[in-house]
Amino acid sequence: MPELTYLQAISDGLREEMRADESVFCLGEDIGAFGGAFKVTAGFLEEFGADRVWDTPLAENAIIGTAVGAAVEGLRPVCEMQFADFISCGFDQLVNVAAKLHYRQGLAVPITVRLPSGGGFSGGPFHSQNPEAWFLQAPGLKVVAPATPEDAKGLIAAAIQDPNPVVYMEHKHLYRRSKGEVPEGRYETPLGEARLAREGDDLSVITYGAMVLTALEATEDLDGASIEVLDLRSLYPFDREAVLRSTRKTSKVVLLQEATRSCGVAAEIAALIAEEAFEDLDGPVVRVTAPDVPIPFSPPLERAVLPQVEDVKEACRELLAY
Amino acid sequence: MSSSPTSSGLMDITMPQMGVSIAEATVIEWKKQPGDAVEADEPIVEISTDKAESDVPAPAAGRLKEVLVEAGETVDVGTVIARIETGAAAPPAPAGDDGQAAARGDGEASAGGDGQASADGGNGGEPTVTPVVRRMAEKHNLDLSRIEGSGRRGRVTKKDVVAYLRERDESAAVQEERAEPAAAPAELAEPVLHMESPYREDAPPAAAPAPAPAEAAAPGGRELSVMRKRIAEHMVRSLQTAAHCTTIVEADMSRIEAARGRRSYLPFVARATIIALREHPNLNATLDGDMLTVHDEVHLGIAVSLGEDGLVVPVIRDAHELSHEGLGARIKDVAERARSKRLSPDELRGGTFTITNPGAYGAVLATPIINQPQVAILDLEAVVKRPVVVTDADGHDSIAIRPMSYLCMSWDHRALDGALAAQFLSTLKRVVEGWQG
Repeated sequence: MPELTYLQAISDGLREEMRADESVFCLGEDIGAFGGAFKVTAGFLEEFGADRVWDTPLAENAIIGTAVGAAVEGLRPVCEMQFADFISCGFDQLVNVAAKLHYRQGLAVPITVRLPSGGGFSGGPFHSQNPEAWFLQAPGLKVVAPATPEDAKGLIAAAIQDPNPVVYMEHKHLYRRSKGEVPEGRYETPLGEARLAREGDDLSVITYGAMVLTALEATEDLDGASIEVLDLRSLYPFDREAVLRSTRKTSKVVLLQEATRSCGVAAEIAALIAEEAFEDLDGPVVRVTAPDVPIPFSPPLERAVLPQVEDVKEACRELLAY
Repeated sequence: MSSSPTSSGLMDITMPQMGVSIAEATVIEWKKQPGDAVEADEPIVEISTDKAESDVPAPAAGRLKEVLVEAGETVDVGTVIARIETGAAAPPAPAGDDGQAAARGDGEASAGGDGQASADGGNGGEPTVTPVVRRMAEKHNLDLSRIEGSGRRGRVTKKDVVAYLRERDESAAVQEERAEPAAAPAELAEPVLHMESPYREDAPPAAAPAPAPAEAAAPGGRELSVMRKRIAEHMVRSLQTAAHCTTIVEADMSRIEAARGRRSYLPFVARATIIALREHPNLNATLDGDMLTVHDEVHLGIAVSLGEDGLVVPVIRDAHELSHEGLGARIKDVAERARSKRLSPDELRGGTFTITNPGAYGAVLATPIINQPQVAILDLEAVVKRPVVVTDADGHDSIAIRPMSYLCMSWDHRALDGALAAQFLSTLKRVVEGWQG
C-alpha cells in the first residue's frame, strides 16, 4: 500500500469516486483552475473537465443550494468550503433545506460538504474553528471527522455514497502531518463506527480528528499506564457501543476535543456515559477542550487555548490518581 | 424547614417558619439526643408556637451532632437549633461499641467529606466510593474497609478491587495462576479488545457447588405433565406420519367484522369453513394408513388452550347442522367445560377437521400440525388492518384500509394435492368475504 498524506488521501478518495461514479462532481471556490486553497482538487479540472469541477463565486449559500438541487435530481455533489468557518454563509441551505428534505418530502439529498477545519497554525478566529457541534444540532445531517489517511479516504467515499447530507470535517493541521498507508482502489469506512487507535486497560481517551494524534502522543508512555485511545471517526451518528465498551473496560474516561467546550461532542458523550455507564465509572468523566473563546492569532495564545499534549497528560495523570 | 449543609459535613437544623405571622417558637421536647442516629424525615424535636404544636423532621439521614436550643427555650424563626452530621449513615453501632463513636467504617460516601483524611485511612473524611467500586463491592459482598486503597486519600479504586478479588480467588485455589499478584496490573491477562469490565468474568465466589456433570436433572428442571407428554407424543407422531404442507390465503374480514359486533369471529369462520368443506368434501376426511375415509358429516374440532397446562381439541359433532350462532354457543360451551375439566372422553374423539385459533395473541402466520388422522387443519391468526387494493364494480382500483387476516391451512400431501388445498381456501375466502349474515 502506498503511503499518503491525509490531504493526498482525501484527494485520492474523491478522484476514485469521480472515476467510478459519473454522478459525482465537485464545486467550490477556486477548486478548478487553482486546484483549491489547499490543493485537494489539484489536477481534477484536467482529468474531469469543467462540467464536473466547478469554480463558483464566493457564495457558500449558492454552493450548497446548488448542490441540494443537483442532489435532488440524482447527482452526488461534493462542496468544498474554503474554510470550515465560512459555512456560516451556507448555513440556511445546509441546515434548513438539505437536512430536512428527507423528513419533509421524502427526498434523499446525497451531498457531501467538506470543511477544512481546525487551528494550530495561527489562522486566527476566522480560519481556525472546529464548528462540528453546530451540525450535531441539525437532525438530518451526518458528521464525520477522520484522523488518519486511511479513514480520510474511506470516509469521503462513504460520505459521497450515503443518501444523506454529510458534513466532512477535514482538519487542516492533519493535511500534511498525518501520514499513513492507504489502500488503493475504492473502499468505504462505515459511517457511525469508531476505531480503536490503541488498546489499553487503565483509562480511555475518547477523541476524534486532529486530537487523535495529540492523544496518542500524550499517552504513548505515561508513567507506564495502559491507556486506550478511541477514535470516534463519526460524530453523528457516533459509535455508542464502542464508547460504552471502552468505558466499561477502563472505568476512567478523558474526553478530548479541539473544539470549544460548551455543548460539544465531548459533552454529548459525557452525557451518554452518565446515563448508560454510571455504575462502571471509577472516577469523574473529564473533558479536555478549548475554552469558550475564539481562536487567537498570537501563537503563544493559540497554544494556550488549544489542547496540547501536556494538557492531555495532566488530565490523564489526575484521573489515574483519582 | 430550612437547613443548610456546612463545609464540615454538618447540616444545620433551624427553627422552622410555622406560618407567615409566626416570628418565634419554643422547643418542647427533644426526641433524639446527641449521638443518636436519625433517619431522613424522622421527627427529632417537638416545637410549639402560640398557634400550634408540631414535630420537626430531620432534613437528612445522619447522626444528631449537637443540640443548641434546650427544651423550654423560645427562639426566633431561623435560629439554628441543632446540627446533624450527615453521611454517617447511621448503621447500627457494632456490638461492644458504646454507640457514641460514629461507625463510619462502612465505606459509604460522606457528603462533604473534607480533605483532611487521616493517613492511616481509619475514621473520618474518607473519600467517596466510586460507582463501579460500590457495585463491585455489592456484587462480591466485600468489606471495602479491608481493601487498601491506592487512589487519592486512600480511595479504593476498581484496580484495587480487581487485585483484591484475584488474590482472594488465588488463595482460595479456585484459579490457576494467571497473573502476578497485585503489583503490575497492566500486565494481567486482559482479554481482547472491548471486553466488559474484567471482574465480571470472575467465577462467582467459591461457595456455589460445581454443577453435576451431564445427565443429572438440571436444577430447576421438571418433568412434563401427563397432558404435555400426550400432546408431545401426538404432535411428533403427526409430523412423522403426515406429509405436512401449508397453504395460506389472505381474506378481507370486513363483512364478518361488521356482522360480529363484539362476538368472536371464530364461529363465523367456522361456519364458513363448514360451507367450504361441503364444497370440497375431500378435506373433511381421515387417513388411516392407506385408507382414506371421506366423511359426510362435519365433526369439527376446536383447539382450546388451557394456558400453561396445554391444549385440548373438543369435537363439535354434526357441526354442519349448526348456524354460526349455534356454533358460537357450542364453542363457548365446550371451551368452558374444557377449562373446568368437565369434558367427556367421547367429546375429544371423532373429529373430521380442526380449527385452531391463536390469533388473539397477535400472531399473523403459523404452520399448524395436523390433528391425526385428519387430513387438514385450519389456523386463524390475528385480524389486522392493512392497506389493500380494492376494485369497485366498474373495475376501478383504489387503496383502502381493511381488516385482513391470513387463513393458514396445513394439509397432508399424502391425501391430497396443493390445488385442492388452494381451491378449498379460495372457497373459504369467498364465503368469508361475501359473508351474508
